Amino acid sequence: MDDHLGPDGSAGGRVVPVYALTRGRTRSSGRDMPIESLVSVTEHGQRSVASLDIEYRRIVELGRRVVSLVEIAFALRVPVGVARVLVSDLAGCGHLVIHAPPPLEANGGPSQELLGRLLDGLRAR
Amino acid sequence: MDYAPAEATTGTGTLPPTPLKILIAGGFGVGKTTMVHTLSEIPPLNTEQEMTELSEGVDDLSAVPDKRTTTVAMDFGRLTVDDSLILYLFGTPGQSRFWFMWDELAAGAVGAVVLVDLRRVDDCFAAIDYFENRGLPFVIAINDFPGTERFDARVVRDALVLKPEVPLMWTDARDGRSGLAALISLVEHALARVAA
Repeated sequence: MDDHLGPDGSAGGRVVPVYALTRGRTRSSGRDMPIESLVSVTEHGQRSVASLDIEYRRIVELGRRVVSLVEIAFALRVPVGVARVLVSDLAGCGHLVIHAPPPLEANGGPSQELLGRLLDGLRAR
Repeated sequence: MDYAPAEATTGTGTLPPTPLKILIAGGFGVGKTTMVHTLSEIPPLNTEQEMTELSEGVDDLSAVPDKRTTTVAMDFGRLTVDDSLILYLFGTPGQSRFWFMWDELAAGAVGAVVLVDLRRVDDCFAAIDYFENRGLPFVIAINDFPGTERFDARVVRDALVLKPEVPLMWTDARDGRSGLAALISLVEHALARVAA
């Protein structure tokens, strides 16, 4: 598997600054992965969780329950831009699947069908 | 990057996990954080969102050593709507210097609840203007602070220069049922606009 996701030999806990986690990469735009994007773990991710670095491992563990990018950022105490890079890495290796927000209607909002489901769900609470 | 069809991993159900979002906007101290936390099924979460004013894509920080970053606290909450639909609530950052963040938050949103404190009406105009200009559905929820003078809805509408179709209601940001009613009103309003 990709060696940059492999064990780093550290004894757990973050001892490097966040920009080192991402090798200086950051994304300031959410266009390709909005903060509410959902993430879930794949079978491959489940199997390889033990071999991952701590930050990646935490994300894969969080992804056992469908979870959003912004929740991952919170759980890891890193900026959303950093979480975005780490999630991209994991998705690129097939550990995670990203469920992007729904395609939008011409007016820029969700579809009538989705809004209807949302309304039903809220009314049932 | 994989944007796989979701049936591969959902396990239960046949519909893909789908996120939706609603913004909770309004002036500083109007009750946005309270409303988000009251409605959320997860513990109060508040993330430091680091944003940069340099734009798109993957940047190499070493190439722009003086890149300015802004860290801003942002409230969010989560409501599981059904098997596959998850609603996120985002409290919008109050200060206008964080407006560049609003565009990302507003993109694709169902709409916004604009909380208003009638003792400080001016604080909500920026949010109303923003959503009007953007064409994003919004409702006005007057946060009923104890001791606030009661005004007739028509007087409030005039004061806020609201279009007739914009729903207006009184709410209590500390009360879950009341907050939920505001969300329902917003979704009804958004649906009416899509259907129109």
